[in-house]
Amino acid sequence: MKTIADLELVGFFRQLASDYDIRVPVLLPDGGRAFGSIDDGALALGGGALPTKPTAVFFPQDDTLFAQGSGGELLVPEHSRPLFIAGFTALDLRCLKFIDRFFADGFRDDVYFRTRESAVVATVSGYCGPDGALLPLANGDCDLEFIALRGQWLVRAYSNKGEAIALLIPGEASADAVAEVGALAAIVNPDEEVIKAASALLLVDAVPDSFWEEIAVNCIQCSGCNLVCPTCTCFGVQDWRYADRLERSRMWDSCQLDGFMREAGGHNPLGTDALRTRRRIHHKLAADMTKWGELGCFVCGRCDATCPTGIGIVAIARQMVAQYGSFQAG
Amino acid sequence: MKRTLTVCPYCGTGCMLHLLSEGGRLIGVEPSSTHPISRGGLCIKGWNAFGFVHHPDRLTEPLVRKDGVLVPTGWQEALSMVVRGLQSVQARHGKDAIMFASSAKATNEENFLLMKLARRVFGTNNIDHCARLCHSSTVTGLAETFGSGAMTNSIDCIDRAKLIFVIGSNTTEQHPLIGSRIIRAVNKGAQLIVADNRRIRLSRHANLHLRHRNGSDVALLLAMMHVILAEGLEDREFIAARCENFEEFAAIARDWPPERAAAITGLGAEEVVAAARLYATSPAAMIFYSMGITQHSHGVDNVRAVAALAMLTGNIGRPGTGVNPLRGQNNVQGGCDMGVLPDLYSGYQKVSDPVVREKFRAAWGGGPLPETPGLPLTLAMNAASKGQIRAMFIMGENPIISDPDQSHAREALQSLELLVVQDIFLTETAQLADVVLPAACFAEKDGTFTNTERRIQLVQKGVEPPGEARADWQIICELARHAGSQVMNYEDTAQIMAEIASLTPAYGGVTHQRLAPYGLQWPCPSADHAGTPLLHTVQFSRGKGRFALIGYRQPAEMTDARFPYTLTTGRTYFHWHTGSMTRRTHLLHREEPKAFVEINPVDAAAIGVRNGGLVTVASRRGELTVAARVTGTVPEKVLFMPFHFMEGAANALTNNVLDPESHIPEFKVAAVSIRRGQ
Repeated sequence: MKTIADLELVGFFRQLASDYDIRVPVLLPDGGRAFGSIDDGALALGGGALPTKPTAVFFPQDDTLFAQGSGGELLVPEHSRPLFIAGFTALDLRCLKFIDRFFADGFRDDVYFRTRESAVVATVSGYCGPDGALLPLANGDCDLEFIALRGQWLVRAYSNKGEAIALLIPGEASADAVAEVGALAAIVNPDEEVIKAASALLLVDAVPDSFWEEIAVNCIQCSGCNLVCPTCTCFGVQDWRYADRLERSRMWDSCQLDGFMREAGGHNPLGTDALRTRRRIHHKLAADMTKWGELGCFVCGRCDATCPTGIGIVAIARQMVAQYGSFQAG
Repeated sequence: MKRTLTVCPYCGTGCMLHLLSEGGRLIGVEPSSTHPISRGGLCIKGWNAFGFVHHPDRLTEPLVRKDGVLVPTGWQEALSMVVRGLQSVQARHGKDAIMFASSAKATNEENFLLMKLARRVFGTNNIDHCARLCHSSTVTGLAETFGSGAMTNSIDCIDRAKLIFVIGSNTTEQHPLIGSRIIRAVNKGAQLIVADNRRIRLSRHANLHLRHRNGSDVALLLAMMHVILAEGLEDREFIAARCENFEEFAAIARDWPPERAAAITGLGAEEVVAAARLYATSPAAMIFYSMGITQHSHGVDNVRAVAALAMLTGNIGRPGTGVNPLRGQNNVQGGCDMGVLPDLYSGYQKVSDPVVREKFRAAWGGGPLPETPGLPLTLAMNAASKGQIRAMFIMGENPIISDPDQSHAREALQSLELLVVQDIFLTETAQLADVVLPAACFAEKDGTFTNTERRIQLVQKGVEPPGEARADWQIICELARHAGSQVMNYEDTAQIMAEIASLTPAYGGVTHQRLAPYGLQWPCPSADHAGTPLLHTVQFSRGKGRFALIGYRQPAEMTDARFPYTLTTGRTYFHWHTGSMTRRTHLLHREEPKAFVEINPVDAAAIGVRNGGLVTVASRRGELTVAARVTGTVPEKVLFMPFHFMEGAANALTNNVLDPESHIPEFKVAAVSIRRGQ
């Protein structure tokens, strides 16, 4: 395991910039944090999960798929250098793994994988959460892990690409530090239990329609819950015809919108706020469980933070469990 | 990838967001997670604010009409044609034969420059903007009663209000991040009164929903004040210390027992009493209103009545209270502040005041400035149809869809000798123009917008404009130079703001540098002033708050046997005004792809139409056929239509009757008939 000091990080990432398109958490002019290039703002690797969808680096809100020139030639956007992304938390990584599987399942989405496959993903963990709080270890499922420990970052590689990059770091971690990482306590997120309990209620159909009416009255259809969710993958497609080319792009969609399921003739199986809110939660906590064997929500808290009226998934799950938690199946 | 922190281009809430771009192309937005209003969220329009920017329909080069057809040309020819055309009309018909329409979508700097161009370079006060159509009643009504025609409090006051009274505002749809904050406040225990006869989303959260008849607001408010006085719920101490003209006003209010208002409003007298008690007994009551109050032939009286209610109960000058007009456009507050108004310079300084004129004259390099107030936009359209206005320069407005009585607006614009339109798309109005100038959109330029809570915020350029398109401020400066004037040369928009600050007391301490990251709320009179979140704390801007003497007037056009339905117009959540941006945004257009009219199920059954079926709606001005949306949102005998759609233009039906003081059209009430369409 390698070690690198906080102050050396910028230089290290800059060193990688000749081979990679670098995305790291930076401090924004409004005081927030987001993925950016090293020159977009002060490096802010610590501070916890970023407020917006981290998986957007591979699945941006608006993505040009291809263009067709006036002579009929096909123009596919090229990425000159692979991406190097540092700043996923271990939770974000689980979300990434979830959508990796989704985009690979059946029809393989080559637009997603054209950036995803060549990318290097580095996780942050250890004492680098908000106000230095402990973030859970990734222990794999990524190329590299940056573990914050007493003013230094311990760097652990999990892949060939990761190891090649780690070799650029001269410092070797001390045996004490490695032992300390090994002894870091697992972190229990109490909200995860609430989400699991809510999932159980949905799977046994214990939540009446009136509950969704009660929740959905608050929805203003901003679509933010979907657009910040690291596991949401729905998109629409549009074609724009310019004088010299036809351009096809895809952009994020939201199941909270009436047009999401509306048929051309006007019929809509999800035609009310209540049905759409139910669908959003049901998809993550019941349908995904059935299809993939795991929940589609990793309790990152982003939808709860962005929702202007406070009906993110954790808030809904809490209310659901409070109202129907005594229900016992069978 | 590049990130640019800027302001949402849609409503007046003023959310800030980051534009994300890659290789000069926008690829998304992210809400500002720390901004005091956005707080990490956006509405559907904000989340899609980038969606129209690279649309193939963007104007990329100037166009001039040759042999009846608009053809591309270079900037030099286009600008020369504009200047020569305006000067020629002025030479033959006088300085005031031309009209400038500015834009509440454009920045403060651009509005200030168009104001300067009209007054200093072309010597006319004929300049106005779309505030005439939305909140001119507020500017007039609140200036008279309080001395300042803007929101008295700040958006974060919602968190401290104990009662919120929303009248004539569909807040969750038109100011979503304000509407949602109201919902949060109610969920945490605040009380809510909604006065609006449509069952808007907020009404589902209301303790009391008053579904009064369209245009009966003055009767409702006077009767509420009658109850307050009759039950001794007024704040006598506040009235005595802070207000004037109370006794004269009280005599009027005492003449409005709830039973009298009930007959006019269609409400039960007990509903009026309940509303009055709820509002008056709250320790902190906050009023929000919007175009349901202002867009009437008695819009100014509506505003005066709202102001009186707050003064009567002392609900002003404290956190969690106040009279809060929600301004529609992203920069309509700024447009007014910048003096794109026929009678006012920036900072609401009167053109008729010789001292003010001298100040601007001296700052603008001498030369005479016009003395008499110019024409409001609505009267200018009337004057155009009579041949009194011969040329019009329209920046970023689309009156063919947004003005009342569409055939009248079309006739007025077509009768002009010269119509110049500066815009980002070839709008329905631009299609009629003799010269079209391609402009940069919000994402392609720098400057400032001022939101509804008087917060001046930085707009920053994320990507380059397409083709030959330029920022409005650059085009305006070029026009001045083509007209032979050297008074409008600026390096950048920060320099323009420096001039604004030097001439506009409320903006006196504003510099672009000071505005990062979240701006300043005016008044901000000096460099060391931190801005003013709360107005009228110790005294009103005009000294004493004035109780205006008001009377109830019914809408200009009431229903009758031939036109038995009341048509009211407005907007939908997914579209913005004339749809030039939102109808070119994939997701927004998908959500609301076509024109419709809301009709109550009882009425729908009576005319034999089902949801989605076609209906023909007719007024004395015209008729059109659109899809019926059968819904209990509207009460019986009331129809609602959004005005976004050219192919089902609500303003083909609306009544071009104006408030005599604010000259705002009565968009909210017209008498119509409806029948099953073909």
